Amino acid sequence: MTSAADPKPPQTERFRRETPLALLATRGGLILAIFFVLMFGALSSPMFLTSGNLLNVLTNMSIIGIIVVGMTFVLVVGGLADLSVPATIACGAILSLALQPMLGTVPAFVLAITLAGLCGLVSGVLVGYVGINPIIATLGVGTIVLGIVQSAVGGVIVYGTNPATADFVKGRIFGIPVLVLIFAVVAVAGHLVLSRSYWGRWTMATGGNPIAAEASAIPVRAVRAGAFVLTGLCGGLSGALLGLTLQSARPLVGVGYEFSAITAVVVGGISISGGSGSVPRAIIGLLFVQLLTNVMVLNSVRTPDQGFVLGLLIAAAVALDMALRRRGIA
Amino acid sequence: MLWSLERIVRYRVLVILAVTLIVAAFVVPGFLRLSTLALGLDRGASIGLIAIGMTVLLIARQIDLSVGSIFGLCGIIAVMLQSSLGVWPAAAVGVLAGAVLGAINGLLTVVLRINSLVATLATMLAFRAIAHWLTESQPVPGADIMLSIALSKVYLEMFTLRAMLFVGLILCLHAWLTWTVAGRNLFAVGSNPEAATASGISPDRTVLLSFIFAGALAGLAGVLQSLTTNTGSPMFGSEILVVIIAAVVVGGTRIEGGKGSALGTLGGVLTITALTTAMEFQSIPAYVQQVVMGSILILLVVLDRTIRPGAHAQAAPAT
Repeated sequence: MTSAADPKPPQTERFRRETPLALLATRGGLILAIFFVLMFGALSSPMFLTSGNLLNVLTNMSIIGIIVVGMTFVLVVGGLADLSVPATIACGAILSLALQPMLGTVPAFVLAITLAGLCGLVSGVLVGYVGINPIIATLGVGTIVLGIVQSAVGGVIVYGTNPATADFVKGRIFGIPVLVLIFAVVAVAGHLVLSRSYWGRWTMATGGNPIAAEASAIPVRAVRAGAFVLTGLCGGLSGALLGLTLQSARPLVGVGYEFSAITAVVVGGISISGGSGSVPRAIIGLLFVQLLTNVMVLNSVRTPDQGFVLGLLIAAAVALDMALRRRGIA
Repeated sequence: MLWSLERIVRYRVLVILAVTLIVAAFVVPGFLRLSTLALGLDRGASIGLIAIGMTVLLIARQIDLSVGSIFGLCGIIAVMLQSSLGVWPAAAVGVLAGAVLGAINGLLTVVLRINSLVATLATMLAFRAIAHWLTESQPVPGADIMLSIALSKVYLEMFTLRAMLFVGLILCLHAWLTWTVAGRNLFAVGSNPEAATASGISPDRTVLLSFIFAGALAGLAGVLQSLTTNTGSPMFGSEILVVIIAAVVVGGTRIEGGKGSALGTLGGVLTITALTTAMEFQSIPAYVQQVVMGSILILLVVLDRTIRPGAHAQAAPAT
């Protein structure tokens, strides 16, 4: 590759990603930050360190966490972000409740998730095979899907008809909430796929250097598309669980979840440029964001202000990543 | 071949606009009456002003997802300052605030080297949060209700003040893009930043100025919207993004940068406006309209990727 035609010498950065400094800043720093939030929470509010509150945090975290697993794949594969998450959540929530009387609970659940996966497939094909910018593609597909789901139920709020399902989802097995168990299963599966399987290695390679990956006979397009299918499925699952828990689903039920998920992944130290990252790191990021949000809620910080903090966190985390990377090269 | 596929793709905005107008004229009785058109143009002006800034950014290979939030926030600022500063100074501060917010986007992109998609995703969230924070999530009423009536006055049976501003600005943009050195530099930066640097253009400066320009125009649109409705609301502009990107892309500007025209954007805005107006006259629910807008956006972006007039040498890998 030393011929004159070689167009991109700066690509060497790919080989020096995991500098010790970056590792320290992303992993150690974050765990320190979590301790800091825990301490601040415990000092500022007597409610914070109660088991009820922490269990609440964990349950909330599970719904978003399922999406975070999918979003991790999207970022690692170099797909920037999936903005169709609110649509796939709405798809999961609305359809799993609306189809319940017709199909029964479990088939409705499965069908809703499958359809959400199908939305992911459409985004995936647009991004992977047609080569459209992921943010534009998922923004467009999300708008379309949300519109279709709304018109399918006539644009109204859907209510559940089978309270037994809500009891199951909100219930516990061996003292652990079912939602948390489901999240744990998804997270472990996602982690194993990303770190131990061919598909995971292909995902890393595609995100790191698509041209090299293609030269190594990796099905780059399919791998890219796969990340979006996975996020669609995760969004659908998360939405269906959310719908069953609340026993009602508004069309805009999933708005904001995409940012929470992206924030968690980025704060977890996973580069927006792709090629590196792991599910546990994203979940540590999620833990930090969730604890921070919880502390803000307990200290009665209003929701919009929390949005401001989230926005700042995304910008700061990405800027830090870019700065560390440049230092790593120089 | 005079009417090759390439030619149709290049002048597609005329084709799409003509088809939309013809269909709308058949479906909606009285659509081509001047009063209906004036109404449509007035509403399109809001989208159009933002689309002007977005055109410039897309040509420079950047994007601003936060324009909707800037739109809402600047309107709020202009309305809230009315009682202390007076109407027009407050409006000026609103536009200026738009420029500052645009500068923040630009600095994040240029100085911190954050991909503009991600940077503006974050600021979209942050600016919207500021809007909610300033207003405590309630709409804010303006001081002078007569002003909104004056602003809605239709001149020459066709143009409101907003609409005139939009058409005037887009003609200026056309002139700027086609006949000035700075305009041509913009295309150079968008199509090949390295080559632009080599020929003595500073891409960073161009990009930063583009962001400021886009922010100021989104601010201007927001201020005018708030003055016309005599309200500042933190919800203004929350669903405007897809429509704007669709309008610009219909006009032939490419998401991938380096290509686009002001007159194309004018056509795109007119098309989208005609479509929205026609659908509203048919009382088609908002969510179906969303499906239509989203489909148009996706369809045209796919078209851009698959049919490429003037054959680019090589497709850039999707980032």
